[in-house]
Amino acid sequence: MIYLDSAATTLQKPPAVARATAGAINRLASPGRGGHRPAMEAADIAFACREEAAALLRVDDPGRVVFTFNATHGLNIAIKTLARPGARVVISGYEHNAVTRPLHAIPGLDLRVARAPLFDRAGALEAFRQALDQGAELAVCNHVSNVFGFIQPLEEIAALCRERGVPLIVDASQSAGVLPLDFEGLGAAFMAMPGHKGLYGPQGTGLLLCGTDPEPLLEGGTGSESIRQSMPDILPDRLEAGTHNIAGIAGLLEGLRFLRRRGVGEIAAHESRLIRQMGEGLGRVPGVEVFRAGDPSLQAGVLSFRLAGMDCEEAGETLGNRGFALRAGLHCAPLAHESGGTLETGTIRASVSAFNTRGEIEQFVQAVRALAVCG
Amino acid sequence: MLYYLIVCRSLTYAQRTASALERAGITARVIRSPKSISGEGCSHSVKISQRYLPDALRILQRAGLSPKRVYITAGNGSYQEVAL
Repeated sequence: MIYLDSAATTLQKPPAVARATAGAINRLASPGRGGHRPAMEAADIAFACREEAAALLRVDDPGRVVFTFNATHGLNIAIKTLARPGARVVISGYEHNAVTRPLHAIPGLDLRVARAPLFDRAGALEAFRQALDQGAELAVCNHVSNVFGFIQPLEEIAALCRERGVPLIVDASQSAGVLPLDFEGLGAAFMAMPGHKGLYGPQGTGLLLCGTDPEPLLEGGTGSESIRQSMPDILPDRLEAGTHNIAGIAGLLEGLRFLRRRGVGEIAAHESRLIRQMGEGLGRVPGVEVFRAGDPSLQAGVLSFRLAGMDCEEAGETLGNRGFALRAGLHCAPLAHESGGTLETGTIRASVSAFNTRGEIEQFVQAVRALAVCG
Repeated sequence: MLYYLIVCRSLTYAQRTASALERAGITARVIRSPKSISGEGCSHSVKISQRYLPDALRILQRAGLSPKRVYITAGNGSYQEVAL
């Protein structure tokens, strides 16, 4: 099988990730829940993971790197901290349901969508500027669209927010580990990301970077200040109630170490080359509509396409039966499909990782060609 | 042997404290705080040798990790708070 669904989960991981995860089950207890060796070793692993993430994502204080179960968990904390009932909130036109559903759950929210055409960075920036100038209490923006790979002008949007004093929540689900990130430089209130995509950790891991004081989503034991019946006000304890997923964190640490060794810049260049190859190859197949940026620097390692006269789910299933792991449908992001003009049909999505090769992409293009021409 | 305990509010804070000291060449170990000095319940402390306290305080101040509470062991096994 050729795996092209890394925007959902990177399946191919550095071998050290599985070794560390499995080893943790036999060797590590829970950080902060005892002074014995298995607990203190677990504490060392957790701290090493925070430090590694802080270095990669440019966070000054590793204590503000909070472990979550996934990006959705982190986004819920961030959104429920900052979006008060009735608040006006600006979002991009490419947000995932992990952002839009928590926002819709807040009563009376005045949600403004900064709409812009696909791969139009200037348009996206101008839409944000106009929406923010109408008054906003919060902005939420993903860095990379999970449907189209569109790299949004995050630095510029963050600057607009800083100038206006509007807190910004960044959904880095598709960019963490894939594009260079500078949390302190952005000045964002929060940045959420999964551990199991571009950070190459196991499922059930995630990180929330905190630039402002958060409200807990869960209350419970933290191994600290146990007499108090309110959550500690110090991070990361304030957000980490209950036992940690230490096996997952041990694996995530190895994923982060892999990124440091390989280099995020190199991975970004590799994925960009593969997506360019894929886009050009599919673009030459009759009956295939490819959503690709004219300027390759505007697209990360995610590409959507449609086949004329063929349902996207059926095409995805057929290609799956022929050995290609893809995702078809709406990808939990109807707003992005609305912006891209694909809400009615959905798309077939191919997404790459550091482990894909040019040969695999060539085989994939040939398989789509065969499907489009011969069925 | 006499030693100091730097009491920290969270495990991560204790780890940051120990890490800053270790980077500066001071041996520092994170331990569970003794119940009698743990404050509002469970906490962690950083254990350092008696002779390193002045250097440790300087290093931690520079790192923005100035301790709030420091204890020294007494001969009878109890702990006495050190005025900072």
